[in-house]
Amino acid sequence: MNKKTLSSIFLVITSIALFTGGSSANSLKLDVKEHVLKNGLKLLMLEKHDVPIVCLRVNYKVGSVDERPGITGVSHLFEHMMFKGTKIFGTKDYTAEKPLLDKEDDLVTKLSNERDKGESADKKRIESLEKELEEVRKKLRELVVKDEVFSLYLRHGASGLNAATSTDGTYYFCDLPANKLELWAFIESDRMKNLVLREFYSERDVVMEERRLRTENSPMGLLVEQLNAVTFIAHPYRWPTIGWRSDVQNITKTDTEEYFKRYYAPNNAVIIIVGDFNPDETVKLVEKYFGDIPSQPAPPKVKTVEPEQRGERRVEIEFESNPFIAISYHIPAIGHPDLYALDILSSLLSDGRTSRLYKSLIEEKRIAVMAHAYNDISKYPDAFTFIAVPRAPHTVAEIESAFYEEVEKIKKSPPSDWEVQKIKNQLEADFIRDLNSASGLANEIGEFEVLSDWRYINTFMDKLSQVTAEDVVRVANKYLAKNNRTVAMLVKKENNQKIKETKETNSAKKPALAH
Amino acid sequence: MFSMVYSGSLVAQPQGHEHVVTPPAGKPESEGARIVSGFKFKPLNFVPPKVERVVLENGMVVYLLEDHDLPLFNITARVRTGAVYEPPEKAGLASMTGYVMRSGGTMSMPADKMNEELEFMAASVETSIDRESGSVNLSALKKDIDKGLKIFADVIMNPAFPEEKIRMRKDEVIESIRRENDNPSQIAHREFRRVLYDSKHPYSRKIEGTLETIEKITREDMISFHKNYFRPNNSIFGISGDFNKDEIIRKLNAVFSGWKKEEVCFPEVPKVESRFEKSVYYVYKDINQANVIMGHLGIQRRSPDYFPVMLMNFILGGGSFTARIPGRIRSDEGLAYSAYSAFQTARDLGIFFVACQTKSESTNRAISIALEELEKICKTPVDKEELVQAKETFVNQFIFRFTTSASIVAQKVDIEYEGLPLNYLETYLENVQVVTQNDIQRVARKYLHPDKIRILVVGDREKFDKPLDSFGKVNVIELK
Repeated sequence: MNKKTLSSIFLVITSIALFTGGSSANSLKLDVKEHVLKNGLKLLMLEKHDVPIVCLRVNYKVGSVDERPGITGVSHLFEHMMFKGTKIFGTKDYTAEKPLLDKEDDLVTKLSNERDKGESADKKRIESLEKELEEVRKKLRELVVKDEVFSLYLRHGASGLNAATSTDGTYYFCDLPANKLELWAFIESDRMKNLVLREFYSERDVVMEERRLRTENSPMGLLVEQLNAVTFIAHPYRWPTIGWRSDVQNITKTDTEEYFKRYYAPNNAVIIIVGDFNPDETVKLVEKYFGDIPSQPAPPKVKTVEPEQRGERRVEIEFESNPFIAISYHIPAIGHPDLYALDILSSLLSDGRTSRLYKSLIEEKRIAVMAHAYNDISKYPDAFTFIAVPRAPHTVAEIESAFYEEVEKIKKSPPSDWEVQKIKNQLEADFIRDLNSASGLANEIGEFEVLSDWRYINTFMDKLSQVTAEDVVRVANKYLAKNNRTVAMLVKKENNQKIKETKETNSAKKPALAH
Repeated sequence: MFSMVYSGSLVAQPQGHEHVVTPPAGKPESEGARIVSGFKFKPLNFVPPKVERVVLENGMVVYLLEDHDLPLFNITARVRTGAVYEPPEKAGLASMTGYVMRSGGTMSMPADKMNEELEFMAASVETSIDRESGSVNLSALKKDIDKGLKIFADVIMNPAFPEEKIRMRKDEVIESIRRENDNPSQIAHREFRRVLYDSKHPYSRKIEGTLETIEKITREDMISFHKNYFRPNNSIFGISGDFNKDEIIRKLNAVFSGWKKEEVCFPEVPKVESRFEKSVYYVYKDINQANVIMGHLGIQRRSPDYFPVMLMNFILGGGSFTARIPGRIRSDEGLAYSAYSAFQTARDLGIFFVACQTKSESTNRAISIALEELEKICKTPVDKEELVQAKETFVNQFIFRFTTSASIVAQKVDIEYEGLPLNYLETYLENVQVVTQNDIQRVARKYLHPDKIRILVVGDREKFDKPLDSFGKVNVIELK
C-alpha cells in the first residue's frame, strides 16, 4: 500500500448518502454498513445512488507474506487460477473431466521425476509419457469452455474486471450494471465453493511470462525485487509477490489446493459493495449464496519478526539499462501512530512541484528526472522507500548524497507551517475527488479491511490533523537513519555477449507446453 | 437469456428504437451458464444527464454539466493543434510547447508562484500537446473556482516560456530518449511506427523529437506555435461540477475577455500513403523474452466502418482472454502474459497491430498463431454466438461511460473535436446492434492483411524456436 492510496482518505462535508454526521469537516465519516455471516464472511456496504452500477470486491486476507520458501508466488498463481472455472463453470462435463485432470497430474509428476534424473533419465520413457500427456490434454481441451467466467461477466457488462495480489491480500474486482448483482453472487460464491484447477500448467507458464515481463526484463522491477530481498533478511516481505523463478516453475497442484482450503475460506474473506443497491436485499442475497460455505480454522499469523537492522546494507544490480537508485528504511506496521507523520514526510519530500526533492534534485541541482518517496503501510512492518532516476551524466552517487542532504535538513529544522498546511489541504481535496468514484471507494474500503480495519479511513483525517511539524522532524530522525537503511543501485552492465548465455539455460530445459 | 434492455431509453432515442440484444444462438455450454440463463434481470433505468452546449461570442464552444453532489470543479480545453503541424527538423516542438506552457509560468505569474498557489489550494492546471490535439485542464475545489479559472485562462493565453524552463525540459526529454532502449516494449512500438509510415509523414515520428531536433527548437518557435493555435475559435471547452451555468459563463467571458478570434492557419498534413508490404524486422536486445509487434495501417477514427471494426477486433484479440488471439497464445498455450490486437485510430489511417511478449523459445510459435488467427477471421465468418458476446459486452458496458459528470463532458468534447456526429452517444447502441456476421467478415477482409503484414521482434534470435526468416527476409535494426 503506498501513499497514493492513503492520500485518498479524508473527511468532508457533503449532502450525498455516503456520509453520516453533522456539519464540521472532521465529524463526517464514510457510512459503511457491516454484516457478518455465521460462517465469518464479512460484508461491507456503501450506498451511492447517482449511477446504476455496483462496484464489487471479494478480498481474501492472504498474500505472499503467508507463503514459505519453495512455494513463493502461490498466492498470485492462485489468483490466476480463480478465472479458470469451477465444477459448473468452464466445463462441459465435470464428471468426465475429473479423471482426466487426475491423470494429467499423475503424468506431469512422473515426467518431472524422470527429467530430474538428468543425464541418467530414460529418454524413451520421457517420450512415451509426453505422448500420453498430449493425448490426455487433447481430451481435456474438448471438455473446457474457454474462460467462461470472464466471458459471462463481460457480456453482462462487467467493467474493470480484474484481480490483484499483494504481500498482504488477494483482490478480485468487478463492476457491474446495478441489475446484475445476483449474477455476481452466484459466480463468486461458486468460485469460493467449487473451484477446479484446470489449465493449471499452462497458467503457470503464463505467470512465468508475467515474471519475465515485469521483473526479469524490467530495470525497475528487478531493482525493487533485489531491494526487498536485502531490506528484509527474515520476514517474508523479502520475496517477490510474483514468486522466485524456480518456485513458480515447480509449484504443484497439491501446494495450491492446500493453500486454497486454508485461506480461501469465508472467515478469511471480505466482500465490499459500493454503488446503487438496497442493503437489506443485498444481505439476503449474500446470505443465500455464500451462507452455506463452511468456515475453516483461522489461518496462522506470520510469526517471523524482522530483526532490527544493525547497519547500512548495499546492493548493486548489473543490468543492460541506464542507472536507477532506491533506498529503503524499515517502518512499523499499520496501527502505529508514527505512520501519519511519515505520510506527511513522504508528501513533503516528493508530492508536487513545490516538494523538497522536486525543487532540489530536479529543479535546482538538475541531477534527477524523477525522485519519489513512498510510505508503504502494510499489515506487518514494511518500508519507507525513495526511488530516483538520475539524469546523465549525473550519477546515482550524486543522487544519494543529495537525498541525504534533504533528509538532514528535515531532521534539523521543522517544515514550515505553509508546507504542512499545504499537504493537509491536498489530502483533504484528494479524498473529496475520490468520492466521485464508486470503484475507487470500493478499492479503499477493501484494502484497509485486508490490512486491519476499514475504519482506518474514518479516523485518518483526525489523526493526520494532529501531526505537527515537530512530529515530522522526530520520525525523520527515528526512521531515516543510516543503520536502518538499504541502498540498491542498478548499474549498466557491460554489453558482454557471454554473460547472457548462462542465464536462460535452466528454463530452456523445462518442458514446454504441448502445442 | 440476456434479456437486458436499457428500458428503451438509456439515451434519448428520437426514433424510439428498442435495443434488445438477440439471445445467443447456441445452448449454454456449461451447467453454470445454463443456470444463469434462467436469471431474470430487471431493466436498468438510467437517463444520462443532459449536457448543454453553448458558443461564446469569441467563438469558444463550451459544454456544461452541473453536478452539485460534491464541491468540485473541472474545466478542460481541447485545442486543435498537435505534433503533426510541426516542421520535421523541429520534431518535439509541439510536445515541448505543451509542457513549458505550464511549467514555465505566465507573463504575470512566475512558475514558482503558480506552483505554490495551485498546490496550496490543492488545485491543478496541466497542459499537453499530443500528436493531434492539445489540452489544458483545471481541477479545483468549488471554493477556489475564481482563483483557479484565472490561472487556467492565464496559462492558455499568456505563457511566458522562460529560457531556463525550456532548457530544463529539453534536458528531461533528452534523458528520457537516452532511456528508451532500456524498455523492450518502448523500442518495439517506436520502431514499428517508424517502419510503418513513410518517413516523410509526421505519423512516423516520435512526438518527443530526437536528440538532434530538440536542440533546434527555440523559444521563438514555441511562442509562435502557441500563438497560432491557442485561439478561442480553435478550442472546445468542457465544464463539470458544482457551479451555476449563467454565473460560470459570465466568469468565462471575464477571464477570457482579452482573447480574440483569429484565423488559424494549419500547415498541410500529407495524406497517409496506403502502403502494405510483407516485411520482417529484428532488433537485438539481451533479454529472455521476445517483444513482438505485427501489423499494418488501420483505419481513421471517422471511418464509417468504425463499429464493425471494433467488434471484429474484440472477437479477434481485443476482448480480453475471451478473444481468439489471447485465447490461444495465453490461455491455451501459456505462451504470454499479454497478447492482444488493437486498432489505434487517428485522424488519418491509424495502426492495426497484434502485440505479445513471449519467452525467446516460443517466439515463432506465438507469431504463427497470431497469423493463423488473422487468416481465419478473414476466411471464415465468425460464429453467431461470438458476435452476440461481443455486442452484449459493448451494450451492457455502455453505462460505464456515464459514471462521472467529468467523464460525460469529456466525451462530448471529444466527439465534437474528432468530428464525429454530435449524437454519437445517442446512436451508439444502435450502431453496435446493426452489425452483422457479414459485416464482420467484410471489414476483416478489408482491413486485415495477414499476407502483407509487418512483423517486428525485439529480442535475442539465437534463442528463438525457429529462425525468424521463416516469415521472410529479416531487416536488422541496430539500436543507437
